[in-house]
Amino acid sequence: MSEVLGPQQRGMTIPSQAITSSFPLDSPSAVLGAPKVQVSHLAKAYGDNLVLRDVSLEVPSGSVTAMIGPSGAGKSTLLRCMNLLERPDAGTIQIGEHLIDVAKGIAPKNLAALRRSTGMVFQTFNLFPHMTVLRNISLPQQRVLGRSSSEADEISHRLLSRMGLHDKAGQYPNRCSGGQQQRIAIARALALDPEVMLFDEPTSALDPEVGAEVLDVMKELASEGMTMVVVTHEMSFAANVSDQLVVMAEGRIIERGDPKDIMRNPQHERTRKFLHAVMER
Amino acid sequence: MNVEILFAVLTGLPLTILITLTALGIGTLLAIPLLFGLRSTNRTVWFISRCFVDICRGIPPIVWLFVLFFGVSVGSARLSAFAAGVIGLGLVASGYLAEIFRGAVKAVHAGQWEAAHALGFPATSTWSQVIGPQVLRTALPGFTTYAIALLKDSSIVSILGVAEMVFTTSQLARSSDLGIFVYAVAAAVYIGLSVPLGVLSRSLDVKLRKAVA
Ligand SMILES: Nc1ncnc2c1ncn2[C@@H]1O[C@H](COP(=O)(O)OP(=O)(O)O)[C@@H](O)[C@H]1O
Ligand SMILES: [Mg+2]
Repeated sequence: MSEVLGPQQRGMTIPSQAITSSFPLDSPSAVLGAPKVQVSHLAKAYGDNLVLRDVSLEVPSGSVTAMIGPSGAGKSTLLRCMNLLERPDAGTIQIGEHLIDVAKGIAPKNLAALRRSTGMVFQTFNLFPHMTVLRNISLPQQRVLGRSSSEADEISHRLLSRMGLHDKAGQYPNRCSGGQQQRIAIARALALDPEVMLFDEPTSALDPEVGAEVLDVMKELASEGMTMVVVTHEMSFAANVSDQLVVMAEGRIIERGDPKDIMRNPQHERTRKFLHAVMER
Repeated sequence: MNVEILFAVLTGLPLTILITLTALGIGTLLAIPLLFGLRSTNRTVWFISRCFVDICRGIPPIVWLFVLFFGVSVGSARLSAFAAGVIGLGLVASGYLAEIFRGAVKAVHAGQWEAAHALGFPATSTWSQVIGPQVLRTALPGFTTYAIALLKDSSIVSILGVAEMVFTTSQLARSSDLGIFVYAVAAAVYIGLSVPLGVLSRSLDVKLRKAVA
């Protein structure tokens, strides 16, 4: 755990003080640094099931937000609303320059812009099984950004080398281990130069040792100043890498602030119970 | 002697193959818009597609053939026996193939759609690059099974007087004293066509599976 860099050591542009002082929950403008992600009054229901209830959250540029909470709390739904994989019922979402107000409808152009500015990494990797690793990373660049195939391949090779996977370029994903597949999925998302990376339990489907490979890549990404939102049960990642910890339960953000403060001294009974359960494992 | 019988039976083979391929082509071409219709969120589009598929599949091929051959006329021109045959078989095929394709699309893991959407793929690329190739792979066994069935069902067109393989065979049976033997030869030809088709499809399926899944 000691090799993990804390946010203070990462040369961040935003003082971590600004992030930890972001309470109260209902005034997101309390944060000083320029927010990269700003979600306001988001609501989402599946039938009678209120999955998100008036959720507001902001993520300062270049910072890492870890999201924890019991299963069914709405973490995935919140993350998936940020790139409109799920359509919220109400609220606004701002990513960088792109603002979506659900009440005003979502124009296809704005949807595309929002998707382009976010990269997403799934628990189940979701690589395209019928394409080589190289094509998995190059094709989106060609189709979404209009890069030439040689330019895209060059970028893909560079990313694969960075992930320590340059020898996998010609393989099909099913020939790669889970940890390798997840790193390929991260490379695929990074190749599109996103402003924000969204991770939904990226290591939950992996053995701990293999998960560590993926977490290392994510730490490196964080240290390079990528804005990240990470749903995770990896408490050491949440404690040591994230700048902001968000605790969700029953569709609400029940606690939010400095990760170590919350872990040491949770304010909410629900948080205490959850942390207790996670630490027990 | 036996070789002569074989050749006599085989004179109908080109038409059998032509009917099968044409009906399969018509069926596939119709099945693709039907697939999108069956997946449509527009209730009217969905309902029309659903009815079309159920009517195509629900009416026996022989009824289609009679309806099209005796019932359809444009001015004084009627459909030829061949046209009525391939259109009738094509319509039935379109209903079945649309369902085969729909099942194959449903079998594509939801994560594939999500990945394509999250990456910001335009809808055309999502279909042509991500979903389509996986659908083809999944639909292949069902498609070949249907093609083999159609190869045999194409014999029904003989009832309208199209000289495909069963037609030539039954003529031969009537004009000679060989009786059931000619039919056995025809049966052997059908098996000689459908078994290799099945083997080919299965080996292609295994190859595709090995390469990807
Ligand atoms: N597509 C869906 N249809 C209906 N209910 C859903 C759907 N997705 C999620 N839910 C429900 O929303 C709630 C929150 O789910 P989720 O956001 O996945 O929680 P978490 O990621 O925190 O475990 C759960 O009760 C879940 O059953
Ligand atoms: Mg989840």
